[in-house]
Amino acid sequence: MTDPILEVRNLSTHFFTDDGEVKAVRGVSFSVAPGETLGIVGESGCGKSVTAMSVLGLVQRPGKVVSGEIMFRGHDLLKLTREELRNIRGRDIAMIFQDPLSSLNPVLRVGYQIDEAMYAHDKIASNAVERRGIDLLKQVRVSDAERRIKDFPHQFSGGMRQRAMIAMGLSNKPDLLIADEPTTALDVTVQAQILELLRDLNEQTGAAIILITHNLGVVAGLCKRVLVMYAGEIVEEGTVEQIFESPQHPYTWSLLRSVPRIDANRGHRLLSIEGLPPDLIDLPQGCKFNPRCPFRVERCFTESPPIEQVAPAQHAACWVTMERAYAEMGAGTITDTSPGAASGVHPAGRSLPPAEVPAAIAEPVSD
Amino acid sequence: MATVTTPILEEYAGGTIARAQVGLWRDGFRRLRRNRLALAALIYLTVLVLVAIIAIFWTPYNPATILPNTLTFLGPSAGHPLGTDDLGRDLLSRMMQGAQISLIVGVGTSAIVLTVGVVVGLIAGYFRGWIDNVISVFINIFYGIPGILVAIILYLILGHGLGNIMIAISATAWMDMARLVRGQAFSIREREYIEAARASGARSGKILFGHILPNSLGPIIVQATFVIPIAILTEAFLSYLGLGIPSPLASWGSIASEGYAALPLEPYMMLWPAVALSLTLLAFNFLGDGLRDAFDPRQRR
Amino acid sequence: MPTRGTLIYIAQRLLLIVFTLLAVSFLVFITVHSLPGSAFESERVHGKALQLVLHQYGLDRPILVQYWSFLTSAIQGNLGVSFQIRGLPITPLVMRELSVSAELGGTALLITIGIGTTFGVLAAMRQNTWVDYTLTSIAVVGYSVPSFVLAGLGELIFAYWLPTVTNGAIQYPANWTGTYGTLVELSLPAIILGFYTSGQVTRITRAAMLEVLQQDYIRTARAKGLKTRVVTVRHALRNALIPVISILGPLVISIITGSVIIENIFGIPGLGKEFVESILGADYNVTVAVFTVYALLIGIANLIVDLLYTVVDPRIRY
Repeated sequence: MTDPILEVRNLSTHFFTDDGEVKAVRGVSFSVAPGETLGIVGESGCGKSVTAMSVLGLVQRPGKVVSGEIMFRGHDLLKLTREELRNIRGRDIAMIFQDPLSSLNPVLRVGYQIDEAMYAHDKIASNAVERRGIDLLKQVRVSDAERRIKDFPHQFSGGMRQRAMIAMGLSNKPDLLIADEPTTALDVTVQAQILELLRDLNEQTGAAIILITHNLGVVAGLCKRVLVMYAGEIVEEGTVEQIFESPQHPYTWSLLRSVPRIDANRGHRLLSIEGLPPDLIDLPQGCKFNPRCPFRVERCFTESPPIEQVAPAQHAACWVTMERAYAEMGAGTITDTSPGAASGVHPAGRSLPPAEVPAAIAEPVSD
Repeated sequence: MATVTTPILEEYAGGTIARAQVGLWRDGFRRLRRNRLALAALIYLTVLVLVAIIAIFWTPYNPATILPNTLTFLGPSAGHPLGTDDLGRDLLSRMMQGAQISLIVGVGTSAIVLTVGVVVGLIAGYFRGWIDNVISVFINIFYGIPGILVAIILYLILGHGLGNIMIAISATAWMDMARLVRGQAFSIREREYIEAARASGARSGKILFGHILPNSLGPIIVQATFVIPIAILTEAFLSYLGLGIPSPLASWGSIASEGYAALPLEPYMMLWPAVALSLTLLAFNFLGDGLRDAFDPRQRR
Repeated sequence: MPTRGTLIYIAQRLLLIVFTLLAVSFLVFITVHSLPGSAFESERVHGKALQLVLHQYGLDRPILVQYWSFLTSAIQGNLGVSFQIRGLPITPLVMRELSVSAELGGTALLITIGIGTTFGVLAAMRQNTWVDYTLTSIAVVGYSVPSFVLAGLGELIFAYWLPTVTNGAIQYPANWTGTYGTLVELSLPAIILGFYTSGQVTRITRAAMLEVLQQDYIRTARAKGLKTRVVTVRHALRNALIPVISILGPLVISIITGSVIIENIFGIPGLGKEFVESILGADYNVTVAVFTVYALLIGIANLIVDLLYTVVDPRIRY
């Protein structure tokens, strides 16, 4: 296996708000190989976007990376000067964002915004910039690129704006492209086109892609490997087949069971995950999923499970794992998914899911 | 509410909004208490109000009396802490009376503006149609006219008097309030709960004063607070020009005017009204800013 | 290149200005003519003589007839004659005073926008630091401290304490006829006038910058690896200017209001001083003329502002 292009070790990012310290990302570690497609999945507020922003040093006050290392080509991005980091942003690591309307500057022409990314770094010869801007728009399949490049963002459709964003991201031929919910704001048909575009670009340019999404279908369509995040931590990691076919963390399992699937057999009931993610200011003891987990055991309330190998290339952070839940708790047939329903564990004073809604600080940066 | 059926968490929103409604006023007061500048302003203004109230019953000397055997332009001294003016009147007494006048004009104008602006704005915003058109056209035409010009002309027509000064200043100031309330009424009218109230047979009056008004109270209070310094400043300027409070009543503006004339002889006389006016206007502006940040997060600037 | 829609919009706005001028001049005309007293009443002129003078100036006609004749000649550029300085044509007088006021107000506007946007951007970039607190405090002081207080202070410093700095040239010379004051004569009033309004610009620029800096496209710009200065100026400031432009209209009104005050304090022979003098002297024609000119100025300023929007924000088309 080749050396990873990006290796994140033990990353923690917190937001210091008036209401308290929001521990948005805690001890996250993962790596990306050159040319790899990695998906990061989780609910809004699970810290997936904050993780990506931390990599590029884009976390704004009151947020701050409090610990960890982000190794990119052997350098820790957290130790670089602002100018050194600026040189990597958009040049070696590019990022595209969720809402292509708000992510493009409304008062500047689309072409200008694409060219500007190239002028900012000296990777593309400046006399080739304008030609490349048009070529890029063609590459992301914007028709009539020569004319449209002079348009303003509001003259583009949603899908075209996202294409322009992607063109901008690709303009400096980055080694890594981070796509934060690139399809969420788009129609379903356009979503498919954008995913196809990303897949083609990955194959053609060899750029590694980190795809951040809450939509499991999107991950299945593009990624080879998947990270599942919950409440600021990685709870499971594996190949896309492993995650979809034999998830080992109850959260991943619940997530998959809650998505309607066209290929599911008719007897297969949709199950919900009861309760809400924990308040990131005041986290529960032990496993962070214990207030919502049907398979929890006593140990889940006291000790945080470490992420451990559960199969070749698959890791999960769970004291029970689904293998045991299937074998001992009848996970294959349960219909009641309330906390502790399958395991029968209801510790005194903890039997009910938190009643109050967590404060609206769950996702202070994006989503 | 406690059941999340999909991994997408948009369901959050419902709960958060419900909570925001309940806690709006409490949160607002909490934010206001944390705003030190606004608190300091509030303390200063409380003292000023007390001074004005005391001045009703007692001032060291009669502010209008030219004191016998007293030097003019006396600097601060034992008998006259702020000195005496060009005619030998006690400046502390005159400043206390000035505080009274400034506060009356400020608060009085704000009350007129509040009443007229809210009523007109609600009518325009709620009934729409030709009523709104007439009101809007009127406001649009006169909106751009500098209030001070109108105030000068009107005050001369109405004649001297505290009440007339307030009316003259309100003549243009109500339009801002009316525009604000109209806009609020327009947007709130569209909300579901108004729809629900109307569907359940509530009368216009009840909807206007029972729903629309309470829900736009935050911005209205903020706007009314900002009218006060404008009114005080306009009064001071009118008096400064000799078009305001008639002599021998003392206004900070007229004291400043007399002080300005005496500047080469005695800077003190200009100093007191200058400081008092500046502090008072600052205090009202800080208070208004604090109120806006606390109760009107949408138009926070 | 103005589009057809833009031209139609301009035509509509011009029509609105004309309508506003008619309404304003009519109301002011009616109002000032109902003011007690007249420029001709005095101990020496009364009874028969007064009747004669009033007849000479057409003041004995019904008020609507008077307005009509004012209107018809005003359209031809003749704003009538002064009562106070008997028979002096108002149009050249007002034009000269307008140039004085425009010089003062224009300088103040430049100072306002220059200081206001600079302070606003700096304060936003350093939000919640001492830089921010200092600049926003200056802004609040700017629009809280009455201009006559600042004028008094300025006069005290430059005319009495440091007369050598200005050579005593604080007050405009009495015979000044508007062939432009020296920079020194103009600077103190203009700075004081501009200081008041720059506070408003500082606040709005700061707020707009803070809002814009939160926008997704700023994050995009930073993610592209642009330099902070480029992100601030090209991406943030251009967007932040849109709300700033929206207060240019009210700003012109503020400056006119302020100039009425400043001109009267410093004795600058502009429209503001003339306005107060004409009111006090019951010189109705002059009052109406000055008021109408102000309304015209504001109408034009608002039109320019609306057109400026289309320059700064490509989303706005009329």
